[in-house]
Amino acid sequence: MRNYYIPPVTHVIPLTTIRRERVLPVPGAVTVRVNEKVQASHVVAEAETVPRHFFLDVVRGLGVTQQNVGRYIVRREGDRVDAGEVIAGPVGIARRTIRAPANGRIITISRGRVLFEARGELLSLRAGFPGVVIATDGTRSVTIEATGALIQAVWGNGGQDYGVMRMVGEGPADRLKTDQLDVNLRGAVLVAGICDHPAPFHQATELSVRGVILGGLASDLIPVAQRLPYTVVVLEGFGERPINPPAFQLLSSNIGREVAIDGQQPRPYQVQRPEVIIPLPAARDVELPDEVIPLKPGVRVRIVRAPYQGEVGAVQSVLNQAAQYPSGIRAMSAKIELAGGNIVTVPVANLEVLQ
Amino acid sequence: MNTILDADTLLAVDVGTVNTRASLFDVVDGRYRLIATGRAPSTAGPPLFDVSESVRMSLERIQSITGRPLMDESDSLILPVTTEGAGVDVFVSTTSAGPKVRTVLVGLMPGVSLQSIRRLASSAFLEIVGEIGLTDRRRDAERIDLIIAARPDLILVAGGTDGGAVDSVLQMVETVGLAANLLPGGRQTRIVFSGNRHLGASVMEYFGERLSVTMTPNVRPSLRQEDLAPARMHLAEIIAEVRSSRVAGFGELETWSRGFLLPTADAFGRVIRYLSNIYGPDKGVLGIDLGASQTTVAAAFDGALRIMVNSDLGMGASLPGLLRHGDIADVIRWLPVEIPEYRVRDYICNKAIQPGTVPAETEELYIEYALAREVIRLALGIARSEWPAGKDSDTLMLLPPLEPIVVSGGVLARAPRPAHALLTILDALQPTGISTLVLDPHNLTPALGVAAGPLPVLPVQVLESGSYASLGTVVAPVGSARFGRQILRVKLERETGGEDMTGEIRMGQLVVLPLAQGEKARLTLRPERGIDVGFGGRGQAGALRVAGGVIGLIIDARGRPIFMPKDPDRRRELNQKWLWDIGAME
Repeated sequence: MRNYYIPPVTHVIPLTTIRRERVLPVPGAVTVRVNEKVQASHVVAEAETVPRHFFLDVVRGLGVTQQNVGRYIVRREGDRVDAGEVIAGPVGIARRTIRAPANGRIITISRGRVLFEARGELLSLRAGFPGVVIATDGTRSVTIEATGALIQAVWGNGGQDYGVMRMVGEGPADRLKTDQLDVNLRGAVLVAGICDHPAPFHQATELSVRGVILGGLASDLIPVAQRLPYTVVVLEGFGERPINPPAFQLLSSNIGREVAIDGQQPRPYQVQRPEVIIPLPAARDVELPDEVIPLKPGVRVRIVRAPYQGEVGAVQSVLNQAAQYPSGIRAMSAKIELAGGNIVTVPVANLEVLQ
Repeated sequence: MNTILDADTLLAVDVGTVNTRASLFDVVDGRYRLIATGRAPSTAGPPLFDVSESVRMSLERIQSITGRPLMDESDSLILPVTTEGAGVDVFVSTTSAGPKVRTVLVGLMPGVSLQSIRRLASSAFLEIVGEIGLTDRRRDAERIDLIIAARPDLILVAGGTDGGAVDSVLQMVETVGLAANLLPGGRQTRIVFSGNRHLGASVMEYFGERLSVTMTPNVRPSLRQEDLAPARMHLAEIIAEVRSSRVAGFGELETWSRGFLLPTADAFGRVIRYLSNIYGPDKGVLGIDLGASQTTVAAAFDGALRIMVNSDLGMGASLPGLLRHGDIADVIRWLPVEIPEYRVRDYICNKAIQPGTVPAETEELYIEYALAREVIRLALGIARSEWPAGKDSDTLMLLPPLEPIVVSGGVLARAPRPAHALLTILDALQPTGISTLVLDPHNLTPALGVAAGPLPVLPVQVLESGSYASLGTVVAPVGSARFGRQILRVKLERETGGEDMTGEIRMGQLVVLPLAQGEKARLTLRPERGIDVGFGGRGQAGALRVAGGVIGLIIDARGRPIFMPKDPDRRRELNQKWLWDIGAME
């Protein structure tokens, strides 16, 4: 019989191969080649954002009849034109013309109306972390590979940046406070336990930090975090959620190194998550992380809900029968040996594999 | 899809966002019965993004319970039943998993075609990313920009009664066609045209051959007539196509089911409509399916179904929608212990990112069920705005008479005690008069809805078989009276003998009279003046035959709306008392 439990997997890995696909929202142009080395800030692809459209009414604009309008339109469908260039005309003594309202192209000409598409702004897609381009489709996607440490998060405010990592506070549960933030942290990526007040965020803005890595964020600060000019990633969740011990150890041991933080907001049915990448050289080939790890004895897990929320341990056994909990609910469960040696019973639904 | 006359065994699978459930039905003593159910965590999302794994897990559960092989060596479903008794005759499936389908609505007039297309969209698991109408003051070019920026998977177009508007419809169609052709990267956007059917050829000409266009019968054939059913059927197929393109495994379900694959909400609605036809026109039938990513409210009045799928309200990823539609204070009022507001907010946000988790601690359970109350209450309020006049939220603050009320969904089905589910439903819906509350503990309703296609007799026989749990008959007097004042006298005479019960009910009380599931009794109600129990007016007494339930006969005299003290301590005490009274607390 199949293993019934395939929990979500969160990667906290000191050294692995990291492969990420960067994809433009609309087709454009890829600016890098396969095997090319890229830096985090390197633009790997560009595209025009959503263009604007205009209907240019040639019949009314030139004061001609619909039957005759064709002879006055001097451009064709598909033509690219610059702002101010004549599209139709001139007509009459006043030499009336219809000109392009912006740089763009003519989409269609129908019944005396020209559908004109003005070019949108250029959107640049960055590599996000230093690595090597291993694949591209030439128009929209670029796959970059590197080796390093990987710490996956649960939430991000949408930003993406790269900078030197600095620790703020002493431990994984320490609150981020304004008096901890001074000019020495300018331009850095900060690591802190919990943030439950907006003031440190604003102070960090003054210092032009590149990003903040948190264990827990008070949920009422989500709108504040979304407006910040720098990247925020949350590793554990909302509220009093300290950074899990393996992640904290990994971050602590790499303080002073440059890190890439990706704060993309997680969406259901999306593979990529917010994450922290610490680029590190590898003397040998290192494997890609496992994406599917069935729950079985020995597997390292993190408990994501009370009463042992945030604790990390190893699966001792997966129970055959549902267990009952103080809340009264019955749920399929596993026995977990926590880091301190205690063995606790936890619903398998409240576990995620920590690799 | 044809009816199958000679089949004994039917297997139904419902793929949800959090759970995948399989139900095996077979003929026992000449009638269809539920034989076994199997549940597994859904694998539609990360890390697998493939529903087939959880489908097979749930089938293996059934195999291990029944000993009946369902899959062959290559892990394929055995169809039909072999001479050795392996496999099943018919497979049907429903699904609510998969990403929402991004949809732009296009119509003409706000109160006519746009309203109908909105209703059509609200009955499916869609994410509305834009709306265009004749009166929205946008220029054609702006409409094109809106569609391109929205990057829709689907554009629903309606407009014009049959033989009605021509020019305005074709102008809108031309705009939509231009925009759809300009969508970047050859994006496969489906277009459904459900407008003036006399324009079929012209509409196809405007859209051209490049676009994927489906024509359905008009959702608004005349100004006074609305017909959503045929368009809904086409919509279900398109949603299934979009899902299949995003999450693996749906193609296999389609092959196995041979066309009997429906959105969960559609199948759920079919059963509610069927019940409405059985119970008659005096009362409506209400169905609530509280899912992780959506809440479905299906109400049928005299066989006419109104269904609304609210994908912004659910107990999982869509839980933060509760904060957009409602107020956190409305959640906190249902808590029997003091829990700070920030903790409830954190809970909502954490549940949204970890939707499959369960509350192991009592305090978290209280938060979970307080949230469930508000999600249902808000979804019902939104759905009621589309109910027929006289039963909608504008004309009456109170719910119209309903019989029965069917509820399903993981949170309610897996409540620690049935009393938790019952009190959650009572608080959220606040039914009036006399109703029966029915819980669907195995999530059979979607299975029965889709099974009605190949085996129409199956749902009828399973509904009668006791596979649902009747929580009990609820009597909810309506009227104003001082708290503690006597409002009702009750007499319960059991048909099977046993002690009769009489009593007086006071305003504010929540009383449970023991009446076991399957037990019948004659209930006589004598309300005081100004109090209505559903016998035709205030002060009207009457008697009726009632059936028992898992909880019993419940008399909910807490007022409509339920009186909640402003003082937080007093309110928490009252919540505790209600949990105690209903039997959810020891």
